[in-house]
Amino acid sequence: MTRSGLELRHVRVPFGDKAGLDDVTLQVPRGERVALLGPSGVGKTSLLRAIAGLGVLSSGAVVVDGRDVGSLPPERRGVVYMHQSPSLFPHVSVLDNVAFPLEVRGVTKRAARATALELLDRVRMGFAAARPPSTLSGGQRHRVALARALAAEPAVLLLDEPFASLDPELRAEVREAVIEILEHGNGPAVVLVTHDVDEAAGVADRLVVLLEGRVAQVGLPADLLASPRSVAVARFLGIPNLIRGMRDERGVVSCAIATFERPGAAGPVAVVVSAGMLRIRAGQRDGPAGTVTAVLHRVAGVAVRCDVGGESLLAVPEPGIDVAIGATVHVAVDTRALHVVDEPLDRG
Amino acid sequence: MNRRDMAGLVAASAVASPVLIGAAYSTLAALGLAGVGAQGFTLDRVIDTIGSAETWRGVAWTVATAGAATVLAIGIAFLLAVRLRASRMGQAAAMLPMAVPHVAAALAALLLLGQSGLLSRLSYGLGLTSVAGEFPALVYDRTGIALVLTFLWKELPYLTLTAMAVLLSDTRELEEVARTLGATPRQAFWRVTWPQLWRGTAPAIIAAFAFLVGQYEMPALLAPSDPVPLSILTFERASDPNLARRGEAHVLGLLALTIAAVLAILHARWLSRVEPDRR
Amino acid sequence: MNRWRDRALFLALLAWVLLPVAMLAVRALAQSWRFPQILPAATDRLSALTLSTAAGDRLASALAMSITLAAATGLIGTILGFVIARSAAGSSQLFRRLTLAAAFFTVIAPPIALGVGLQVAMLGVGLGGTLVGVLLAHLVPATGYLTLFAVGVFSSLDSSLEDEARTLGASGWQVVSRVLVPLLRRRLGEALILGGLVSWGQVAITLLVGGGLVRTLPVELMSIVQSGDDRVAAIAALMLSVPPMLGIGLLTMGARRTGASV
Repeated sequence: MTRSGLELRHVRVPFGDKAGLDDVTLQVPRGERVALLGPSGVGKTSLLRAIAGLGVLSSGAVVVDGRDVGSLPPERRGVVYMHQSPSLFPHVSVLDNVAFPLEVRGVTKRAARATALELLDRVRMGFAAARPPSTLSGGQRHRVALARALAAEPAVLLLDEPFASLDPELRAEVREAVIEILEHGNGPAVVLVTHDVDEAAGVADRLVVLLEGRVAQVGLPADLLASPRSVAVARFLGIPNLIRGMRDERGVVSCAIATFERPGAAGPVAVVVSAGMLRIRAGQRDGPAGTVTAVLHRVAGVAVRCDVGGESLLAVPEPGIDVAIGATVHVAVDTRALHVVDEPLDRG
Repeated sequence: MNRRDMAGLVAASAVASPVLIGAAYSTLAALGLAGVGAQGFTLDRVIDTIGSAETWRGVAWTVATAGAATVLAIGIAFLLAVRLRASRMGQAAAMLPMAVPHVAAALAALLLLGQSGLLSRLSYGLGLTSVAGEFPALVYDRTGIALVLTFLWKELPYLTLTAMAVLLSDTRELEEVARTLGATPRQAFWRVTWPQLWRGTAPAIIAAFAFLVGQYEMPALLAPSDPVPLSILTFERASDPNLARRGEAHVLGLLALTIAAVLAILHARWLSRVEPDRR
Repeated sequence: MNRWRDRALFLALLAWVLLPVAMLAVRALAQSWRFPQILPAATDRLSALTLSTAAGDRLASALAMSITLAAATGLIGTILGFVIARSAAGSSQLFRRLTLAAAFFTVIAPPIALGVGLQVAMLGVGLGGTLVGVLLAHLVPATGYLTLFAVGVFSSLDSSLEDEARTLGASGWQVVSRVLVPLLRRRLGEALILGGLVSWGQVAITLLVGGGLVRTLPVELMSIVQSGDDRVAAIAALMLSVPPMLGIGLLTMGARRTGASV
């Protein structure tokens, strides 16, 4: 049975003279949104361009709706590629921009414009149909670009760093547009590339972390954040607390904040836990003690940096608790929330 | 008005004043109030010039030759830009004529296209003509072929480089987008590249045309004696032994400045149409 | 295949571009070029671009005149252009636009038309037929070009550098001399070349304002061509073409470098 959407089989992408991406295998069914995460320079854009037919593959297959499209030119692949900043055609109106994919397929101008207007209404940009693109704001341009992409009825939609170089307000707007417009079910398979973990987690159904040229981990955002497979992934995702630990022959892991049972091979390990799982509670008397070194006010809430047994950790105080720098606090730890990676944590 | 705006006003005046002063003097001279041979206020010079068929034939011929060269230049420049945009050597090669001064280019045209020029000799050698005079008169001819070709030779670099610059800018991104949206290479070219080329080069085209209309040296060496191009006519009147007629040079000069002003306005309007998109 | 077509196109372009220049070189090196010889006969070919004393003197003094005018125009024009552009840059949009429009108009106004008016003006102040008068007349289009050039330079300049210098205590003049000039050294050099090139190529204005008395190289070349002495004309034409080739070569190298650093 042919699978719908995008499938990458052992894809290898060159990146200038460097190695680029090696052996990427991935399936994205229609209607699903997947975010490719990775540091800049790992080859994400090269991969997208190769999928779209704008760049080359060293080896491997790109399969769209069950067909190998490797030998097809960009216009026949069913893959739409959207650049970082919306590339609307400046010489035609917003309506004709959206009508473009239909017209090049042979649809009459009239019919194309009618369909285009429907799509524009869907993205709530119908009012701007007759205007030139230069008069639109950034968020509006993104909407129109999405409508235009949908007009092409692609099997696969590629978004290259859609949130980069946008200020926070605009980012939220674009994120909402992407979620709202690219509905699940009948929509295309969406692959978006970004280095921003938070944005990716907010938009995507699944995250694919690319590190050092390979797929390091794939999974639901929550799973990745709770259980990163390696220290490198944890570091990339920005998980704040990476603690040195040691596992003995009985499978007991000991580290600065807890000692607990977690079966596995003996040796050095890394204990990974998010800030939210280390709590500072009112009236807490037991649990590891630490000294507060800084209080951080973030959009997501207050966090406290404290020194616990030589490790600098990020913890979250319960609402209402006031913590002063230099104070001694006890950190409440739920050992079930502690994730263990069978890797030594190198002091880098 | 604050100090900064004052400085801006001075700046604008500094640039505009020479032209304005020149135009003012020309106006006075056209009316017989200034310049060599001035005999007091008279409208005769203006009437004689504007009423003369020679004037308008000269204007028409000047505009026609400049226009023909510009049209040819556009076509070739677009072709070169599309085919050679990526080639550094292509760009370098295209630029050479910019360095050769107009007089030198005109001389080369005479040597190549004159009736005793290289082409004529080749034609003789091939047996197509038996005497130098049989070779078509490309120079000093009413059709102005040699002049148009020389114009073309000189103007092509400017338009080619402008077209190349347009293509190397965000046009490439737009072409890619068009392709992934389903356009074949041909569709992408006609629907995206071609309109982009026009938008990007329109100001340069207007400037190039204006420049050719105002040219002096090349017509002086290559144009026929009938009709007389506008710039030559102007120069002839300006050195007319009949001092009284010298005022006509100024009428013609003001006429030429008016044409230039119209073109400058068109240029400015085109620029403001294209500007808003610059990211 | 497309490749071959493009290669053919490139070669055609090369031939188109080089033929006139080659023609000048060939003619300059031949004592005579009798019809119907395709190339000058071996006996007529010279090994060097020799000139009679009279012709040589004429060209030499014309060359000196052109160089003098070009240098002066480049220098004064650059100062004017940059000062004007800076004043315009700091003022409101209206004056900026006016300055640009005026500069552009100066550039595309037919030199003959400018020349007739300026001729009368110069005669009026007693500068007709003088070097100074011609210099002033050359400065008109040159300042136009250089103002446009300088506006481009300033618009791509990061004003934060100047602002920081001011907050660090530098006065207006110090900002110019200690920050702007060193920063813009290369662009100033390019402007000098550009101004020089504009003057170098002027014919109509020189003829009208100079009244035939100020004989620059292109003016001299025109008379020689009209007199029919093709060989001397070709030599003069080559002489005339070399400095602009060098100048434009330098300018493009500069533009490439700036493009790379942006």
